[in-house]
Amino acid sequence: MDSFLAATTLVFTWDVMLIVISASVFGLFMGAIPGLTATMATALLVPVTFFMEPLPAIAAIVSATAMAIVAGDLPGALLRMPGTPASAVYTDEAYLMGKQGKIGVALGLNIVCSMLGGIIGVVCLAMLAPLIADFAIKFTSDEYFWLALLGLSCAILVSGGDRLKGVISMLAGLAISMVGMDSVSGQARFTMGSYDLLAGISILPVLIGLFAISELIRRMPESHNPQQEVQTRVKKPFAGVGPLLWKYKFGVARGGVLGTLIGALPGAGADIASWISYAIARKFSRSPEKFGTGHPEGLISASSANNASLSGAYIPALVFGIPGDAITAIIIGVLMTKGITPGPDVFVSEAPLVNAILLVFIIANLLLLPLGFLAIKGARHILSIPSGVLFPLILIFCMVGAFAANNTMFDVWIMLAFGLLGYVMAENDFPVGPLILAVILGPIIESNFMRSIIKANGDLTAFVDRPIAITLAVAAALIWGMIVANGIASSRTKSRLSFN
Amino acid sequence: MRSNDKITGLVTVTFGVLVITNSRGLANLPQQDYGAGTFPIVIGGLLIAFGGLLTLRGLSSSAPLMVWVNDVPIKRFYLTLLAIIAAIVAYILLVPVVGFPIVSTVLLSLLLYGFYRQNWTLAACTAVASTAVIWVVFGRLLQVPLELGILEKVVY
Repeated sequence: MDSFLAATTLVFTWDVMLIVISASVFGLFMGAIPGLTATMATALLVPVTFFMEPLPAIAAIVSATAMAIVAGDLPGALLRMPGTPASAVYTDEAYLMGKQGKIGVALGLNIVCSMLGGIIGVVCLAMLAPLIADFAIKFTSDEYFWLALLGLSCAILVSGGDRLKGVISMLAGLAISMVGMDSVSGQARFTMGSYDLLAGISILPVLIGLFAISELIRRMPESHNPQQEVQTRVKKPFAGVGPLLWKYKFGVARGGVLGTLIGALPGAGADIASWISYAIARKFSRSPEKFGTGHPEGLISASSANNASLSGAYIPALVFGIPGDAITAIIIGVLMTKGITPGPDVFVSEAPLVNAILLVFIIANLLLLPLGFLAIKGARHILSIPSGVLFPLILIFCMVGAFAANNTMFDVWIMLAFGLLGYVMAENDFPVGPLILAVILGPIIESNFMRSIIKANGDLTAFVDRPIAITLAVAAALIWGMIVANGIASSRTKSRLSFN
Repeated sequence: MRSNDKITGLVTVTFGVLVITNSRGLANLPQQDYGAGTFPIVIGGLLIAFGGLLTLRGLSSSAPLMVWVNDVPIKRFYLTLLAIIAAIVAYILLVPVVGFPIVSTVLLSLLLYGFYRQNWTLAACTAVASTAVIWVVFGRLLQVPLELGILEKVVY
């Protein structure tokens, strides 16, 4: 109770509340503009959060991402163009509801279900995280090694697409994470004599490059195309939402719980939660034939799931210090720069901060209602911002942001290099998720491996001589078996297709 | 630009070879068979193995070596890519000499005119206002040392 009271005094201050509202408005713009994602919003926010205290920094990221995911539904419903990948699955459904004169209901459902899904996610996070942390307190470097390896393996398995390219993306990320001075022996690796590389490659320019610059390279050539105008006026959003919510209440609950669990898997973000939840809603629906015709059932479940997954991703991030997605990878980076190392101990040593984070989640989700309402009303204006104006401004912002973390132009070069790499990867179907998780998890895997091997005097069997360690090792081996089997199957299919 | 898997596979194999080559000189920990080179060598080896698999898959595919699969004309893409790279390189090289306010204003004016295709005055006004906002937020509020460059003599 004391830590909860301490959390409220941390959260209900004018600066935290101002940051929550400002970040929500920023997230709203980023999500509403097609092509700009919640991850990109986070990457652009990080340079600013570096200068904040831990709680306002996390509050800014939590609020911006939740709002960006919701705002991504606006262009989907109004223009049939999903604002973020998380909205893609029900874009047609919402657009067709608009064509039937129910645009207010569609957008109202998006916002209310996202809010409810987010709240369900926070409740699951608040209940599950401390329980898992109690268990995780017994972990040694052996378990952390396997856990980080398991996280990376999951990232490949659930990132979708080509598994072989997922593995290569992960390996490239691990190689990148090893640049700089080795933390155990102090030897310089892959620095090519550069003093700037001795401390390793900074994560911030990598994120801005991979998520913002590569997206600009992809989108800027299209900015000459004429802007699509919103023809539909949204009258009375939220009217008729209540009865539909009551009718599909189990869909909301299922989407929320499912979204949280999927979000907790490393590599599985809001888009995967949304797709799976939509598919399950269709499977259990009494009227599956109505899906894809402007039916609200799938939209309700998927809207609830995509926002809940944001909270779910914080479970492995806070409990083990292992990011569930790129956004929590950034959060871990931000916390570590503030001297807070996420892990089971954080629930004891930083209990007020953990409770304050949960409280911020609830506030950010409740804010979705009023800000979402304003966003619907102002959607015509937001969507009419020409991309030809927006993209150059984002480009300058990226350059200043990459420079700001370490005050060095070297990071701007890194940003450019990773922007080009991210573009080439996306064009050739290499998933970026495993790479970014590997950059974060690489040092965790290597340092825990080295710690265990030194402790065991070089005996590799020590990695599997504890029950939890062997369970995690078996799970990792099973996932790798699935990745290999899936890779072989997809290679055979691709070869067959190319010969036909 | 989409490449055949044999190209991306070969690039992966080359990367793996480079990782191993650069790790071979790293010393092991005292009285251990492991050290700073252990992980890079394992990763390099795996990059070679999986890159090899990707190359083999590419060799059995009839896909062209390089193909442009986009609605945007390739010329416009290259021009935009060039503009982005040139803007970033110009920023890196010119800001320490000329200063952030001038470089940002000029780059933004050029980019806004180039991509929005409205008049120069509008582009320049937007560029000045945006540079001022970035300067206040990053330079003043967040204390990021954005260089004033040649304006330093004017301001101070």
